[in-house]
Amino acid sequence: MAKNNKYIFINKSLFFPDKGILVIGDLHLGYEHMLRKSGIIVPITQINELIKELKKLIKGIKKEYSLKKIVFIGDIKHSFRFEWMEKREFIEVFEIIKKEVGKNNIIFIKGNHDTIDYSFNGKMKNYYVDEDTIFIHGHKQFKKIEDKKIKTIVMGHLHPSVVLSDRQNIKREKYKCFLVGKWKSKKIIILPSFLSMIEGSNVNEYDYAYEDYFSIIPKKNLLNFEVHVIGKDSVYNFGKVRSLIK
Amino acid sequence: MTEILEALPRKDAEIKKVLHPLVSEWFFSKFREFSMTQKYGVLSIWERKDILISAPTGGTKTLTSFLSILNYLVILAEKNQLEDRIYAVYTSPLKALSNDIHKNLIEPLQEINELAKSKKANIQEIRVGLRTGDTTPSERAKMAKKSPHILITTPESLAIILTSKKFVEKLNAVEFCIVDEIHSLDNKRGTYLSLTLERLNELSSIWPTKIGLSATIEPLEEVAKFLVGIDEERSVRIAKVPLEKKIDIKVLTPVEDLVEDSNIGYEMYQLINSLIKKHKTTLIFTNTRSATERVVNHLKEKFPTEYGDDVIAAHHSSLSKQHRFDIEERLRNGELKVVVCSTSLELGIDIGYLDLVIMLGSPKSSSRALQRLGRAGHKLHETAKGRFIVLDRDDLVECSVIQKEMIEKKIDRITFPRNCLDVLAQQIYGMAIYKIWNIEEILSLIKKSYCYYDISKSDFFDIISYLSGEYGLEKSNVYAKIWYDAETKQIGKKGRLARVIYLTNIGTIPEESFVKVKLASSGEQIGMIDEGFLERMKKGDVFVLGGKKYIYLYTRGMNIYVKETISRSPTIPSWFSEMLPLSFDSALEINRFRKLMREKFESKKPKKEILEFISKHLHLENQNATAKSIYSYFYEQHKFLEIPNSGIMLIEKYKSEKNYLLFHSMYGRRVNDALSRAIGFLTARAGGRDIEIGINDNGFYLAGEKMKIGKVLDFLNEKNLEEVLKEAIERTDVLARRFRHCATRSLMILKSYKGSSKTVGKQQMRSHFVLAAVKKLTGNFPILREAKREVLEDLMDIENAKLVLKWIRQKKIRVKIKDTSLPSPFALNLILQGQSDLIRIEDKQEFLKRMHKLHLKEIGNK
Repeated sequence: MAKNNKYIFINKSLFFPDKGILVIGDLHLGYEHMLRKSGIIVPITQINELIKELKKLIKGIKKEYSLKKIVFIGDIKHSFRFEWMEKREFIEVFEIIKKEVGKNNIIFIKGNHDTIDYSFNGKMKNYYVDEDTIFIHGHKQFKKIEDKKIKTIVMGHLHPSVVLSDRQNIKREKYKCFLVGKWKSKKIIILPSFLSMIEGSNVNEYDYAYEDYFSIIPKKNLLNFEVHVIGKDSVYNFGKVRSLIK
Repeated sequence: MTEILEALPRKDAEIKKVLHPLVSEWFFSKFREFSMTQKYGVLSIWERKDILISAPTGGTKTLTSFLSILNYLVILAEKNQLEDRIYAVYTSPLKALSNDIHKNLIEPLQEINELAKSKKANIQEIRVGLRTGDTTPSERAKMAKKSPHILITTPESLAIILTSKKFVEKLNAVEFCIVDEIHSLDNKRGTYLSLTLERLNELSSIWPTKIGLSATIEPLEEVAKFLVGIDEERSVRIAKVPLEKKIDIKVLTPVEDLVEDSNIGYEMYQLINSLIKKHKTTLIFTNTRSATERVVNHLKEKFPTEYGDDVIAAHHSSLSKQHRFDIEERLRNGELKVVVCSTSLELGIDIGYLDLVIMLGSPKSSSRALQRLGRAGHKLHETAKGRFIVLDRDDLVECSVIQKEMIEKKIDRITFPRNCLDVLAQQIYGMAIYKIWNIEEILSLIKKSYCYYDISKSDFFDIISYLSGEYGLEKSNVYAKIWYDAETKQIGKKGRLARVIYLTNIGTIPEESFVKVKLASSGEQIGMIDEGFLERMKKGDVFVLGGKKYIYLYTRGMNIYVKETISRSPTIPSWFSEMLPLSFDSALEINRFRKLMREKFESKKPKKEILEFISKHLHLENQNATAKSIYSYFYEQHKFLEIPNSGIMLIEKYKSEKNYLLFHSMYGRRVNDALSRAIGFLTARAGGRDIEIGINDNGFYLAGEKMKIGKVLDFLNEKNLEEVLKEAIERTDVLARRFRHCATRSLMILKSYKGSSKTVGKQQMRSHFVLAAVKKLTGNFPILREAKREVLEDLMDIENAKLVLKWIRQKKIRVKIKDTSLPSPFALNLILQGQSDLIRIEDKQEFLKRMHKLHLKEIGNK
């Protein structure tokens, strides 16, 4: 592992102190509007919460470290079509982030939901490379990923979460989590979705059943990944996915 | 208060005197004399007296209600005075009523017309119009232009009609209003109709005479008040028609030993087959849709030569309307040998000649059982023949006790849901669409409804606030549906789409949504289950679908994936979401029987004497096998532990992979739901751990760590129950689900909006999220209050739960806790049935920390 490859989990996000890079998982902006369009008239609260969370996160990081770049690893928006409300939310988030790190230090990775590019600072990227680390969404394979120089892959897409249950299997609760493991002798870090409303898919609940084309990581490989469960104040290592399957 | 009077039978001559010669001639060409029901009802209606007529099926209620109206219209028609307006409105909760109406209204009309023609009498045409959810727009338009004189409709369609200007003009002098099948309106549809009737009263310049038709039901005074509303100036007559149909009823067990005999499934079908063969036409009630399909398939498979599609059919609410009509028609024509239904043929549509009703599994109350039995020998003088077939010993005792109640004419009581705020919101919206109102005018109209006579001003104004966009909903784009001007005190509709939104979202029955069940290995679809059922399932749960057992694996979008299993027994009953609760009255009757049985065993009476007692008490004469099964069930319980009963509530402490507390609380699942959640919640809170609960009609269990029950039982009483329960249900799935239903009824969540359906979102949007969003706005949101009321009063039975707690406090019920190495015979079904819900108490973050510590310990041990 290269020297400057240290990373820490800060709440739902990932931070590389030496690089000064903050990574944010799937945002799915506009998710609530999609619900409203389908007739579920709920108050729009998620976007404000999300902005509050982002601001607090950045403030906290800036206190201790120097923040140079923010990488959004895809699925920044939700709808597959153009939506005004979505664009508005995108701009709102973009303007806030811009003030924090400057327009040129924001990197948008293209996810499977990012069918329209609302960003104005050039095109969305398929991947972003910093020394031996590559940032991708995770739904698509690129030649660059297999480059020998790449040692670490950071991705989102899978919205991992985990269900913990007590011994009698009476209480069961669901938590967002990070997955960290190895695949093709590279280190993989998978981020949960950043939006609170999307709780995620339980990696230990069933034969984690996505089709193989859904992600670049075959599902069976996930069993050996380490689960880092996100608590309110801390992130807890619960060992391998395999050991949490009941 | 509304005055209640008794209706008395009138003399034939008196009735005959008021009939127009044509009507009279027609009537006596068809019937020899007036029926008992007609003696009670016809003249009252003619004299414009509001009346509730209670008579069993086959009691000629429908014709009674129409006879005076037809007579009146014929008199007008002959004088050429029939105007182009609606004289009478008939409403029934059944959609499939047209056949009954055909026989009792259309045919008489046609025959009277022909009679008139043959006598060269010139009378105007009397028109009948049918308006239900299935009526096409062109038919509706035609009806608005040339109005029917008698309008046949459903409660929902009637409410829609009241918002249409064109129709309202035709309704400005309604003279009669018939409400059929009142006994089936003890739910929010009834609450809804009670307000619709007040709206009809309000817009009609003359008082529409109310005619309520009901099966045998109690309490008639309350039902009568429901019919006419609450007002000083109103009065209503009750006609309790003294008609008694002879009944021939028995409880059958397919095998002698219901526990050990593994052939029970085979024997049951043999028994059903032999019963069907001995009768001309048989109707089978199974309680659930899935069981209906299963029974039909098994009969076809086991007796391929006997049951082809030409002689057997399934009938339940998930089938298409056309399909159901077809089956009813073939049943009436005597073409079918056997029809299997869930509960769908319980209500009054005429299905012709039947000579046997089989009830598979308990009908859960005596009035429901009588209603079903009434389908056999539809005519009054015929004996109604029914057979219960029971498959387990709890069912056996339950059906036997219900049989006793039927023979002894003990009818259970119904109640109407009251002060429902979601229904109120929908109705106020409907009223505002029709015109601009003064707020006091609306409130006084509402207070005349039986279901709202004591609604508080604050509840009412909270609904006005909600509808007019307060509660900060407006800024989150939940736009207002009405405007309210506090100065002029006026309210009116808001938004151009108001009428469309109202029309497409009206109603009180929560829309069921179904999820496809697929095999994980192949993706092959094997059936559907409803969403409520899915919400209860955990990974690894085993359930039955289409007669096979499956393990639940995972959910993807609108599909759930499963794999088949043979070895494991079901952990949740597939009929759970469709299950009928046992009535409180029947439960008490079972408790009394248990008490008597305990006394017999304790005083060491010989077996023969006890068997004789069972036969006599439960009217099981000549049913020795049934009595013997009951005897051995009670004997085993007595030997193993003791018999819980009306005086003793037994709690078994039993330990297997979980720690169980099994409560023998024989009060029906609605009461047990309330008791178990209150006790479970207090226990969970004291121990700081979540607790699993399981509920059925005979009792409930708690399972979990750290359960100290003693203090909880000392603390809980009838006075603090409501407060405890409100807290206990705060975070439950059931509240979230009910809230979503209430939010739909109050038009917060639109079923249909701008032409797009909501299924996509519905699937992704877990109901607890909608709830969380509202809780963030205010903890006192009126629709949330309504959801809590619905859970406590309609889903659960908090009133009778209070009664049980009072009996415990007064020491009428003694609570006994006993350790057991195995669950006692009476507790077996309860524990097999599995989990109903989880009481959450431990904080999610605390739980995470605790689990992490455990994890670290485990690693340390390795």
